[in-house]
Amino acid sequence: MTSAVRPEMRSAPRATLLSRLRTALAVLDPLRIAGVVLFIAVWQMLTLGLPPIILPTPLGVLQRVFSDFLSAPALSYYGVSEANLYGNLIYTAENVAMAVAVGSVIGVLAGLVSARFGLVRAVIDPVVMTAGTVPILVAAPFLLIWFGVGRASAVCLVIFYVVVILYVCAQRAATNLDPVYEDNARTLGATPRRMVRDILIPATVPEILGGLRIALAGAWGLEAIAELLGSQSGIGKVLEVLAGATDPQGIMATLLVLGLTAIVVDGLAAFAIARTAQWSAPAR
Amino acid sequence: MIATPGARRDRWISVLVFLALAGLWQILSMVYTAEAQPGEPMVAGWQVLFTDTFLALSDYWPGGFGVPAVGDGAERSYLAALLSVLSHSIDTIGRLSLGLALGGGGGLLMGLAISWSRWSRRLFDWPLQFLRTLPLLAMVPLFQLWFGTSFFGEVLFVAYGIAVIVFAGTVNAVRNVPPIYLDNARSLGASRLMLYRTVILPAIFPALRSTILLSLGAGWSAVLGAEYLGAQSGLGYIIVYAQQFAYLDRMFFVALLFILYTSISYWAISRLFARLLAWAPPSQRR
Repeated sequence: MTSAVRPEMRSAPRATLLSRLRTALAVLDPLRIAGVVLFIAVWQMLTLGLPPIILPTPLGVLQRVFSDFLSAPALSYYGVSEANLYGNLIYTAENVAMAVAVGSVIGVLAGLVSARFGLVRAVIDPVVMTAGTVPILVAAPFLLIWFGVGRASAVCLVIFYVVVILYVCAQRAATNLDPVYEDNARTLGATPRRMVRDILIPATVPEILGGLRIALAGAWGLEAIAELLGSQSGIGKVLEVLAGATDPQGIMATLLVLGLTAIVVDGLAAFAIARTAQWSAPAR
Repeated sequence: MIATPGARRDRWISVLVFLALAGLWQILSMVYTAEAQPGEPMVAGWQVLFTDTFLALSDYWPGGFGVPAVGDGAERSYLAALLSVLSHSIDTIGRLSLGLALGGGGGLLMGLAISWSRWSRRLFDWPLQFLRTLPLLAMVPLFQLWFGTSFFGEVLFVAYGIAVIVFAGTVNAVRNVPPIYLDNARSLGASRLMLYRTVILPAIFPALRSTILLSLGAGWSAVLGAEYLGAQSGLGYIIVYAQQFAYLDRMFFVALLFILYTSISYWAISRLFARLLAWAPPSQRR
């Protein structure tokens, strides 16, 4: 290896490191941070004029998050099986993960099949489109009575909405795929199996992953509300208990934990999707 | 919609699918005769739904128009049931429409205000993103603490849910206006206000279509959420009381009403937008 090549080899990683640093700096936009500070300042100002039972102070809520995260004995008096936010968060996260995993498999398969077989589409479309518009609060009581109060009802409920979102996404991805790709492969003698493996899946995965991200973002709220209506643990149960105890500080602390978790998971999902679907523009 | 043979076939199939589902429900009600409580079937057949269940809804009629309430000792009657369904539906739809108007208008105005410059957009980006992540329905307890169970609080809750979505949609749509439109208008000497009126507003209109449909779904959810926790009228109120006594048939009846209303509202808004967007290029209409 000659020395003439070396600077080039060295400069390549240095450039990526620099560009990475630059993107990291761009994320930490001072103006955006100023926005958050302003938001908290306005909140603090409002608390000066309102009693703490209506609006707790930002600092109080933050302290509450730290104190309740590992141990909140008060919760056990109200019948929450886990007396801390951490355990309930794990419970909620497990249900969300399970529901998104199962729901996306069903939704994607149904969506892809429906995009290629008109009859299947004509049968499933009206059902899914109608069912998808039913608000969760209408659907939840049925599941709670039919399956009882517990994990099964909540997970089934979330699965249902995840299926709807991914069905629509997968179907649209496959329908919008330019027929020229499949025609071309067919002319070159591709078998149906290879068409699915080499064309349909690579072409639709980016959009499906985008749909997965939307479903994941929505699943937290759906899971929380399902737990709020009937469950023994989970973030939703904590919210229900705190609402009964008229504790806005606790409610806000719990919402903050849930919101931050959803943001972090969404960020991780976005990163993972950008990694997995590098070949495609829409994934970014 | 143009009725091509394929579309006509699909429409027939969807009618058949719904008929099949209704038939399946009836068969299920005959095969699975378990009862949630004595005299209260888990799966209520259509003959029950349209007689006993419908009659039972007259329990929720508060009285008036010369039709006395069941609570005052009157017999259940079909007229009272009909009035009950109508009045509770009107209450729910009223809350929803007020919330839609308030939240949609407020969200749009705020979104436009924040899009005024790149600076303001960045300033409000993160707080806005965070508010969007908070699950709307989980915030019901908070709104209840703040506003109690007043009509104003319920409307405000719906408005909040809608405003957050419309707000984010507006900011996003303004950001996606092709810069060439703006540069062109600016180079012809348009002021910022003129730019908004003649370029930005028409340009974001097609993109707002999906935002409005999304917020309509959130609105139906939110209005139920508001009624779930303490309202004294509305379809959500009926569901809550029916659930407490495990009146599954009444819940099913109200759920069917909901499916009807949401379908109609989606269809109406889509048609309205299709008409309003007749000028837009087909690629933006969808």
